[in-house]
Amino acid sequence: MTRSPIVLTASNIRKSFGTREVLAGVSLDARAGDVISILGGSGSGKSTFLRCLNLLEVPDSGEIKVGDVQAPLTRDRKGRTVIADHRAAARMRSQTAMVFQGFNLWAHMTVLENVIEAPLRVQKRDRAEVCATAEALLERVGMSAFANAYPQRLSGGQQQRVAIARALATNPKVILFDEPTSALDPERVRDVLALMRSIATEGCTMIVVTHEMAFAREVSTSVIHLANGVIESSGPPAHMFGPDASPAFRAFLSPAS
Amino acid sequence: MTEDRFLLTIIGQLLAAAPVTLLILLVSAVLATLLAGVLTACAASGSRVLRLLSAGWTFLFRGTPLILQIFMVYYGLAMLPWIRQGPLWFAFRNPIFCSCLAMTCCCSAYIGEVFRGAMKAVPIGGIEAGRACGMSRFQLLRRVIMPALTRIALPSYSNEVIMMVKSTSLASTVTVMDITGVAQGIISKTYRTLEVFLCAAALYLLLNAVLTAAFGLWARRLHIARRTSAR
Repeated sequence: MTRSPIVLTASNIRKSFGTREVLAGVSLDARAGDVISILGGSGSGKSTFLRCLNLLEVPDSGEIKVGDVQAPLTRDRKGRTVIADHRAAARMRSQTAMVFQGFNLWAHMTVLENVIEAPLRVQKRDRAEVCATAEALLERVGMSAFANAYPQRLSGGQQQRVAIARALATNPKVILFDEPTSALDPERVRDVLALMRSIATEGCTMIVVTHEMAFAREVSTSVIHLANGVIESSGPPAHMFGPDASPAFRAFLSPAS
Repeated sequence: MTEDRFLLTIIGQLLAAAPVTLLILLVSAVLATLLAGVLTACAASGSRVLRLLSAGWTFLFRGTPLILQIFMVYYGLAMLPWIRQGPLWFAFRNPIFCSCLAMTCCCSAYIGEVFRGAMKAVPIGGIEAGRACGMSRFQLLRRVIMPALTRIALPSYSNEVIMMVKSTSLASTVTVMDITGVAQGIISKTYRTLEVFLCAAALYLLLNAVLTAAFGLWARRLHIARRTSAR
């Protein structure tokens, strides 16, 4: 069986905040079409790990490669790790996209402007093509009626759907989802999860930090359990949610029993 | 001379001085805003030296009275032989130049604080979204940070400019014949203190009314976001 190409590699990512070690060497390979759910208790470092993948958080050590682009890290005079080449970092990031817990739409731009910004300014694509793509994407996420509205007029669920359209607009190699439903009311959670499900089935590569167990179990191609800054266990959902899962992960799933 | 004619004459004389007031306002507002931008960039920079310089500038020029700064630039610097014999003496002996210089320094400190506060209030989430999609640092500044900063800073910034309109009257203390300077000249000849100062005040009021309306218009254009309905 031929395996699809690796689109993102993270190897041995370490990160400390002060004296607290949040990531103690975490590695991950994402292949095209993978949907990887990262689960773990609060403080397990899952969001930090995801933010390291596009260098919103600069790891203390380790390597990240997206496609064939790697952003070299270096140390500044105080010994902190910093991005050595901001152009390379920008190039690497432009091949990824991120959907945030707090949506993070640009408040001074309309919905359509939010979606076309990166394809137009970062990828320097043709305006007519980008607008057509954006309108199709807004249609796809059910937001085309709001193309000219400003984000603060929208509900959380609507903003998150726009944020997903914005992420898709750049044709990223991988989309990073940072607890995309944690700030939504239950009904909106359903809409956003349904949308994520449908883009997952279209072969979009996704790395998802989430608390939605049903999503992890039904949509993921693999599940990673992060605990104490390391991958405690990982595997396909059938294994992770089956009887042979690690005791620690089973305890995480049902802390009461 | 009838009373009406007298009032019209002094309004005419005061209006003739309005360009001087406007010149000082325009030059110092533009330069102070640019300098405030530099101060803000220094305050946000990674260099300790630049941060200290920016903080020191603000401490100095915000902490001392503007009138003393104007006196020191116009009368004070003229005491130094190397200024009097230097190549810039033609500028430093011009009271309008000195007023603009002092106003620029002083107001840049205030406006710099407005910008610095606004900078801190720019939502970090939008900046992260910009980074995450691969924007360069310049694009981030130009497309995300500046538009957000402008919207946050505008109300306080317009307040500073309106304060500056009134501060220009201090130039009259160093012989500048602006609206206030001319008003004092008329009073020294006619002793009609109340009428003349009232007319001068009315002119400042008019100028500020125009500025307030202009800033209001600008704010409305920027805040379309808050007004456009979702439909």
